[in-house]
Amino acid sequence: MAASTTAPTASTASSSPMAFFLQGETGRNTRGLLRLIILCTIAAAAVASRLFSVIRFESIIHEFDPWFNFRATKYLVNHGFYAFWDWFDDRTWHPLGRVTGGTLYPGLMVTSGSIYHLLRFLTLPVDIRNICVLLAPACSGLTAFASYLFTSEMSDSPSAGLLAAIFMGIAPGYISRSVAGSYDNEAIAIFLLVFTFYLWIKAVKVGSIMWGALTALFYGYMVSAWGGYVFITNLLPLHAFVLICMGRFSPRLYVSYTTWYALGTLASMQIPFVGFLPIRSSDHMAALGVFGLTQLVGAAEYLRSQLPSKQFQTVIRSAVLLIFVVAFGGLVLLTVSGVVAPWSGRFYSLWDTGYAKIHIPIIASVSEHQPTAWPAFFFDLNMLIWLFPAGVYMCFRKLKDEQVFIVIYAVLASYFAGVMVRLMLTLTPVVCVAAAMALSQILDTFLVASAPTENDADTKQANGTPAGANGSIADKLSSALPDTLRSTKSPLVGIYSYLSKSLITGAITSYLLLFVLHCTWVTSNAYSSPSVVLASRLPDGSQHIIDDYREAYYWLRQNTEPTAKVMSWWDYGYQIGGMADRPTLVDNNTWNNTHIATVGKAMSSREEVSYPIMKQHEVDYVLVVFGGLLGYSGDDINKFLWMVRIAEGIWPDEVKERDFFTQRGEYRVDDQATPTMRNSLMYKMSYYNYNSLFPAGQAMDRVRGSKLPADGPQLSTVEEAFTSENWIIRIYKVKDFDNLGRNHQDATAFEKGNKRKKTSAKRRGARVLRVD
Amino acid sequence: MPPKKAQPSPSAIPASAAKPTHAISTASSQPTKTPNKPVAATTATPSIRNAQDIQQIGTAVWNNYVEKTAQRTKLLDAFMAFLIVVAGLQFLYCLLAGNYPFNAFLSGFSATIGQFVLTASLRMQTNPENQAEFETISHERAFADFVFGSMILHFFCVNFIN
Amino acid sequence: MRLLQWAWLGLISFAAADTNVTHESRNILPSTFKPPQHFRNVNLVRNINLEKSYPRETINVVVENIDDQPQSEYYLPFEQGTLGRIGGLEAKDKKEPGRTGFTAEVVEIDPYSPTEYYKITLPAVLPPKEQITLQITYYVLSALSPLPAQIGQMDKQYVLHTFSAYAPSSYTTLKQKTKLKLPTADVPDVTTLPADLNAEGKEDPQKQGTTFTYGPYGEREAGAIQEASVRYEFTKPLTHGKLLERDIEISHWGGNIATEERHWLTNRAAVLKNHFSRVAYQQSAYYNPPTHALKEMRFPLTAGSVDAYFIDDIGNVSTSRFRTNTRESNLEIKPRYPLFGNWNYGFKVGWNIDVKDYVRHLKGQSNSYILKVPFFEGPKQVEGIEYERIVTSVILPEGAKNVRFETSVPLVSNTTGLHRTFMDTLGRTIITLTAVNVVDEFRDRDLIVTYEYPSSARFMKPLTIFGGMLVVFAFSWVIGNLDVSIGKKQKTA
Repeated sequence: MAASTTAPTASTASSSPMAFFLQGETGRNTRGLLRLIILCTIAAAAVASRLFSVIRFESIIHEFDPWFNFRATKYLVNHGFYAFWDWFDDRTWHPLGRVTGGTLYPGLMVTSGSIYHLLRFLTLPVDIRNICVLLAPACSGLTAFASYLFTSEMSDSPSAGLLAAIFMGIAPGYISRSVAGSYDNEAIAIFLLVFTFYLWIKAVKVGSIMWGALTALFYGYMVSAWGGYVFITNLLPLHAFVLICMGRFSPRLYVSYTTWYALGTLASMQIPFVGFLPIRSSDHMAALGVFGLTQLVGAAEYLRSQLPSKQFQTVIRSAVLLIFVVAFGGLVLLTVSGVVAPWSGRFYSLWDTGYAKIHIPIIASVSEHQPTAWPAFFFDLNMLIWLFPAGVYMCFRKLKDEQVFIVIYAVLASYFAGVMVRLMLTLTPVVCVAAAMALSQILDTFLVASAPTENDADTKQANGTPAGANGSIADKLSSALPDTLRSTKSPLVGIYSYLSKSLITGAITSYLLLFVLHCTWVTSNAYSSPSVVLASRLPDGSQHIIDDYREAYYWLRQNTEPTAKVMSWWDYGYQIGGMADRPTLVDNNTWNNTHIATVGKAMSSREEVSYPIMKQHEVDYVLVVFGGLLGYSGDDINKFLWMVRIAEGIWPDEVKERDFFTQRGEYRVDDQATPTMRNSLMYKMSYYNYNSLFPAGQAMDRVRGSKLPADGPQLSTVEEAFTSENWIIRIYKVKDFDNLGRNHQDATAFEKGNKRKKTSAKRRGARVLRVD
Repeated sequence: MPPKKAQPSPSAIPASAAKPTHAISTASSQPTKTPNKPVAATTATPSIRNAQDIQQIGTAVWNNYVEKTAQRTKLLDAFMAFLIVVAGLQFLYCLLAGNYPFNAFLSGFSATIGQFVLTASLRMQTNPENQAEFETISHERAFADFVFGSMILHFFCVNFIN
Repeated sequence: MRLLQWAWLGLISFAAADTNVTHESRNILPSTFKPPQHFRNVNLVRNINLEKSYPRETINVVVENIDDQPQSEYYLPFEQGTLGRIGGLEAKDKKEPGRTGFTAEVVEIDPYSPTEYYKITLPAVLPPKEQITLQITYYVLSALSPLPAQIGQMDKQYVLHTFSAYAPSSYTTLKQKTKLKLPTADVPDVTTLPADLNAEGKEDPQKQGTTFTYGPYGEREAGAIQEASVRYEFTKPLTHGKLLERDIEISHWGGNIATEERHWLTNRAAVLKNHFSRVAYQQSAYYNPPTHALKEMRFPLTAGSVDAYFIDDIGNVSTSRFRTNTRESNLEIKPRYPLFGNWNYGFKVGWNIDVKDYVRHLKGQSNSYILKVPFFEGPKQVEGIEYERIVTSVILPEGAKNVRFETSVPLVSNTTGLHRTFMDTLGRTIITLTAVNVVDEFRDRDLIVTYEYPSSARFMKPLTIFGGMLVVFAFSWVIGNLDVSIGKKQKTA
């Protein structure tokens, strides 16, 4: 799809053999128009390549977190902004509730809410769901545009911006979080990130309050949209700091940085969830420190210009240093004394990848917090990953203020992307920009450097960039060529051989085509599954949709009390809230570790232990995900060890991970499984009644590929209420207290006896009563 | 040379009458070799200075400032000084009387700080010495920017004050 | 809700357009009201048909005017709780089935009265001593109750129907009998009435195959009641539609009629004794026994329907099949889960049909159109479906006026209003028709709407959009030409 839409960009560029339009004033206009058209097609390509899931499935919200965002957006649309701001949600975290309005980043919901009202105003009644589904692709179009602007600030080459835009548009690293339906904070945050950086660069270049203020405004928007704003909060001060250290302090820097900090901090404090963090938490202290430093350096510079003597300048410089050190010491003191909050746990896990595993199992249990595997870089960025260092090198060659920024950004983001999978997202923009700079340099060198009169049209054809072949630009570029390159090629300036030109151009073109192919393939195969709906192929090749999640959620929604509390592992909390519309105990907003551990304990303990816990929390239904019949590997038995670990973190005496492993240290579910495993509520609920589907003794778990014990588990405190078609979701109802006051084991035994031998029922009944 | 451009500004004329000797010294301040401070160049440790010298430098700076700065800029400087005083008072109050409505304190304090840096920025942009840095920004543009920034600042402050 | 508000607003502003005045007005009578004894039922035969999930009662009665004045108002009494569940009451002349002009309406009495009446107005007055043979049919909704109320997943279901062995009558009845038609011979319980009540002294009721006959009985005074009940096997779902909303949107520009139906169904069948067992359900899928669960539904749509969809609150449901050819279109849907007793399911189905096939020019008038569509469609099930309330809205093109409609489905209310949707300026005319207590046997009844749609209205929207674009362009041109740059003069100076 992307391939087909990029093709016109090449043809539009090539379809102008009239050199008339490429010179002078008309030329400039034509090029501007062409650039606009190309940008529009790039945006269209970016949007189109994200629509696989809508076409293949339907317009549906994906995964887990987006369901909460969607629910919050609906609340916003239905109840208005102020009610949303004060929203206390009593349908999550059941006995506790959640002050949702104050604990979320509202940017996303407010954005789609305003789009919704705007369309309503234009009498276009578009369903809020469709707005939410399509918000991410729409923003990706904007991101492509923003990266065009950003790159254009970095490079003189006219093609760099366009290349960056198309890279940004189709790079899988970004698509992974912005396909249609993935209605998450990142959807708009990446656009805001790139755009804020563009504004910042603009501000530093021009030194105007207006650009600084705009940076601050978009920074504020970013803060309202994503927790990743801390990245900007630290990157911009770092840039300023490095510039100061390089002796590049200038009034421009002072203007842009102080304006940004003063306004941006205030803007960020408007968000209730952020609140006083910018002056209280260590994550934000760097920005404050650099702000102070800028003031000092600014004052010093001013004084220096007033002062005659060089010695006094040294005095002042040392004074500045001294104050800086004292301030830093004060900050450390404040942190130690607790006025300023220390770094958050997620932050530590950025530096020490083992930290989370030991201290915060809940953070480690999220798959997107795992360290990135090396192939993932190639998978997500393909050829950009080897162009990236070249681009960074280009920045070193022409090290102005903005290039310094790219270098810092590149270094930091590469590190973070290596530490955490999800931070690949922040790396992608800089990779696209740097790669575009490198590639445009190559293209400009090999396409333009020769006499511009001969090969205007054909060079551009291969290039796909619109206006490379202008004489003046060519001169500028050829003069910018590295000396070494020029000298090795020929004693004359430029590359004249058609052979080498076409060779390189052909190679680059094929690389670009391969890149497009790769991106399309990755998007279509890896990132376009809603994960709520599963698809499989029937033997005849037609698509079969496995819709168990929604089947069960809709059953809950239609056939249970609206106040029935559902207990499940936290992964499904948001989905239950969104699709089943029932209160949950825990959800994906993992703010309360103890509460999650409670659920983990209930799941991993024996029924007699779990039952009081469930009763205490007024649980009506328990939902488990079981993939054994279908071979669906993302089920609860596979996640079970995390429940055990998290529960063990709070109750080390009652839940022990070791008990779930066999003597030989294996995690098994068959008849070798440990008694603790087989008695745990989760195991019982997963396999209850499962063996009756199979001939005796033949029950197979297809995920773990093991044969199950001949006798299935017995449940006494919960009863099966619903099982979806492919057994993926199983819902159990928690029994009421027995009305004879017996415990449930006895009651079940009594019923069994009753069924087996009607005559002995009385005797058994009497015995049971005596026991009680 | 920036100082040359500063000379024709009308407000500088009355101040220049105060001390002609220093006027000479400042005119050549950029080339660093100053006639009235030859001692400073010879001493090895600049930090060891007697109080008299510091006072002398202080007055020199002050005089330099008074005579060389445009009247408008002085106005800005007075405003900045006022803002610093207000910020200091607020901080003092916060230390003494507690920071109970923290929002209010914070927005008041950051309003002054923000206004200060905005004014400083305006001052820098309109400073003729920095003409080279701010090629694209005329004085009117700088002032418009300043108004724009201040409006945003005060909007946020009012919103935040509760 | 908002629709209703708009509808009311529209009613006020567009009163002229509305020729069919709201006919929710009912005659309210004092509770002491007794129908005047003008008539006498000479002979009455009542058939209660229980083959579907709702009983259909047909009363064939020979009525004689015993008053000395000509009379035309015949009253039919119902107990207060029952009247709200009576639907589709129609009367006709048995001897002349083509004769029209019978109207039936509810006579409302203040809420303390135990009895309420349907008033049937004859097309012509009945002179004294004359006789007329009336055939009155009606349906009783929610009339069957499963007994036992809780059964296992694979068990047979038995339902209980309670009725009076004497037909409801506000007049003295000389001779009557009641026939029950059951769907099965498996009838564990049926009320046996003492033989002395019977006019012929025979065993009461008489059984013939799957038919039970109570009576004949001799003279009974007005309002006589004899409780009786029958319990029989009915292992089928008792599908009950709580609400059906149906929108028909006509677009002359698009050449399309879009229909959407929103159903809220519940199954009134027996509740599962134990919880739902997927194992048992999957095992039963192989030999497909009769069950009280609602597993699938079939919508026979009007021929030529295209683009059918089936969605619910949380998105598309993939278990549907749409078969269409030139003669018929069938939409077969499976709910996400089988509906057992007391389970609910809400969903939406929709499809498009070509406007050419259902909207015609009215003869002689170039701007007048006539639309003919079914009043409602809904699924067609062997065991039948009953609807508590059906709200059908017809959204006409923007600018349509002089709207009239006609349908043979008994309505309780109708309103005309405005509906604003895609790029509307004035809003489209919408008529909203409400019927209560309808059964799926009415699904072939047509709704005929005539309206005027002048060509000026037809071109209004493109012109409006064009004008809007023009304004935007002009505005941006003006903005683009404004010189807002600051300090330019200074630089040039």
